Amino acid sequence: MSIPTQPSASTSLWCLAVGESREIVSIEGAKADSAAQRLVDIGFREGQRVTCLMRPGFGAPRVYAVGGATYSLDQQTAICVIVSEESRT
Amino acid sequence: MINVLLVGAPNSGKSALFNRLTGLKHKVANYPGITIDVGSGSLTSNPQVTLWDFPGTYSLSPVSGEERIAIAGLRSALHDSQDALVAMVLDATRLEKGLTYCLQVAREAAQAGKSFVVLLNMMDLIESDSLELDVSGLGTALGVSIYPVSARTAKGIAAVEQALQTGDQNVAPWADTPDALIRGTAQQIGKRFTPKGDLLVRRQALIDQWLLGTVSGGFAFVIIMTLFFQAIFTWAAPLMDGVEAVVIAIGSIMTSVMPEGFLADFVGDAIFGGLGAFLVFVPLVFILTLIIGALEDSGYLARAALICHRPLSLFGLSGKSFVPLLSGVACAIPAIYAARTMSSMQERLLTYVAIPLMPCSARLPVYALLIAILIPNETALGGLIGWQGLAMSAIYFFGISTALLVAAVVNRMGDRDRSGGPFILELPAYRLPASRTIFSAALNRAGHFVRKAGSAIFAVTVVVWFFGYFPNGGEDLSSSWLASIGRFIEPVFSPLGLDWRYGVAIIASFLAREVFVGTLGTIFGIESADADLVPLADQITASGLTVASGAALVVFFTIALQCVSTVALLAREANSARFAVTLMTGYLVLAWVAAFVVYNLAAALLS
Repeated sequence: MSIPTQPSASTSLWCLAVGESREIVSIEGAKADSAAQRLVDIGFREGQRVTCLMRPGFGAPRVYAVGGATYSLDQQTAICVIVSEESRT
Repeated sequence: MINVLLVGAPNSGKSALFNRLTGLKHKVANYPGITIDVGSGSLTSNPQVTLWDFPGTYSLSPVSGEERIAIAGLRSALHDSQDALVAMVLDATRLEKGLTYCLQVAREAAQAGKSFVVLLNMMDLIESDSLELDVSGLGTALGVSIYPVSARTAKGIAAVEQALQTGDQNVAPWADTPDALIRGTAQQIGKRFTPKGDLLVRRQALIDQWLLGTVSGGFAFVIIMTLFFQAIFTWAAPLMDGVEAVVIAIGSIMTSVMPEGFLADFVGDAIFGGLGAFLVFVPLVFILTLIIGALEDSGYLARAALICHRPLSLFGLSGKSFVPLLSGVACAIPAIYAARTMSSMQERLLTYVAIPLMPCSARLPVYALLIAILIPNETALGGLIGWQGLAMSAIYFFGISTALLVAAVVNRMGDRDRSGGPFILELPAYRLPASRTIFSAALNRAGHFVRKAGSAIFAVTVVVWFFGYFPNGGEDLSSSWLASIGRFIEPVFSPLGLDWRYGVAIIASFLAREVFVGTLGTIFGIESADADLVPLADQITASGLTVASGAALVVFFTIALQCVSTVALLAREANSARFAVTLMTGYLVLAWVAAFVVYNLAAALLS
C-alpha cells in the first residue's frame, strides 16, 4: 500500500490512541478527490471533534466517532485527516 | 396522484419506512447502501399516493455508481413529476450525517417548486434511551415541516401518512443558498440539535471492543462464519427431510390412483422425480437467506467488512467487497448489484471476477446431493459436528478460496494501481434483528428461487423425460433417444469418469444449475422404475458413482459459470459483453481442467 508522505503522520487521525479526541484542522493529500469529498460529507469537517474508538490490530481500518456517527477509515484515508495537537481524552 | 420521493442518507431507515407505509417487502438491512434500485409502491391508506424509494447517499456529489444512479434519478423525478413531494428521512440518532444532503435536496426541490418534508426516523431509540431532541426547533431551523416517526414501532406513522396525502407542504427556503453555506449551515444545525450525550456511541463501542478486538474480533469472526456454514446444512436438514417426505407421500398417492402407463410414468418420473428432487432443497435457500438477513440486520456485517479489509486487500479486493461476496453465497445477482456501492471501478471489476465463484444457493442442491452420495451421514463430538456439514463447509471454503485466488491472479495480471481505493465505511448501531422482516425476506427469496428455477426445471425435466421415455415407453433407458444424445456428448465428460447420464444433466444445468438435480431425478426415476420415488441420492449411490467422479463433479460445479442471468447482468454492470463472455468461457475451461486433475488425483489415491 502506498502511503502519502505528506501530511506528517504525527498530526493525522491515524495516530490517535483509543479514547483520544481531537479537533479536525484540515483534510489533505486525499488520494482521490472523491474520498476528500466523502469525508467532508459524512462530517469530517474543519473544527469538528473526532474521537478514536477502536484500533483493531494487523493494520485493519480504525474506528472513529464524529457527529454522533461511527465510521471506519483505512490508513491511507485516516492519514489525510489532519487533527490538532492538543488532546482531550 | 401524488408522487412522494423518499430520500435520505444510507442506513437512515428509508426502506423500512417505505415498507411500513406501503406494506411492501423491499430488502431492508442494517448495512449502508442496501437499496440498490429505485423501488415504488402505493401508500397503504391511499393508493393515489405513490412512494419512490431512492438509494441512500451522503450528498449530491456522487462517489459510486449507485449514488450516480440515485442522484440522476432524483433530479429527473424532481423536474419531471407534476405533483411531487420530497420526503427526506433523517436518522434521529445520527442527525449530522444526513443534514448536508437534506439541505442540498431541499434546495433542489425548492428550485423545482416541489414541497419538502422531513421524516425524523428512529425516534424509538431516542425515547428508549431518554435522549433529548428538540424536534420542533429542528423543524424551524430547517424551515420545513418535520414528523418524528419510528419505522420499527410504527409510532408516528399515522401523522406521516396524513402529511404525505395532503401533498401541499411548504417549499423549503433554500432555493438560492450556495453549497458552501449549505454545508456550513448543516454543520451548525447538527451541532445544535444532535442529542446530547454519547450513550449510543458508547454502547456500540463496548460491543466493538469484543467484536473488533485484535484477538477476540478474529475469533468471533471465525466462530460466526463457522456457525453460518454449519447452520446452512445442519439446521436445514429436518426441513429438507420434511419436504422430501411430503413430496414422496403426495407422489405415491398420485401415482397409486392413476392407471399404469404413460400418465402415471410422467407424473412419477418427471413431476415427482425431477421437480420434486429440486423442491427438497428450497429450505436450504430459506435458511441461508434468513441467516444472512440476521447478520445484516444486527449491524455485524459492516464490522465483518472492516475485519476482512486487510486480508481481502492481499487479493486486490477491499473490505467493501465482503458484503457483495457474502451476498454471492445466496445468489450472484444481488451480489453484483451490491458491488455498485464500491466507488473504485477497478475494485468493482475485481469483485465481479470473484462473485461467480462464490458458492451460490443454486449450487447448494448440487453440493447437497453429491455430499449425500459421497459422505456418510454420521456425527462426531456427541452430535455437535456432522461429517456432511463439515464436507459442505470444506466445499464452501474451496469455492471462496478459488474466488480469492483468481481475483489475486487477475489483479496481478492487470495494469492497475494495487494500493486500492479509499476505505470509508459507516458502522451502523447494533440492534436485535427484526425477526418479522428477515423472515419475510427469506420467504420471498425462497419463493423467488422456486419461481425462477422452477419453471426452467419443469421445462427441462419434461423434455428430458420425453427423450428418455421414448421410443420404447420407458422400458430401457440405455436405448432411449436421451441415451443417444448422451453418448454423443459423452467424450467430453468421460475423462472425468462420468457417463452419458451426468453429461446430459451437466448440459441441462446450463439453463440453471439446479436443473442438474432435477434432470438426474428424471433420468434415475425412469431407470429405476421398479423402485419409484426412492430418494435420488440412494439411486445414484446404487448406480455406482465413484468417489473420484463425485469429487470431479463438485470441482466442476464450484468453478463453472453456468448462470445465464449472471452473465447477462455482468455484461450490463461492467458495461462490457466481452468481459462477461471471457469470464464465462474462462471459468468453464478452468472448471473442466480442475475437475480432470482432481478426478485423476483422487482415482490414483484411492486405487
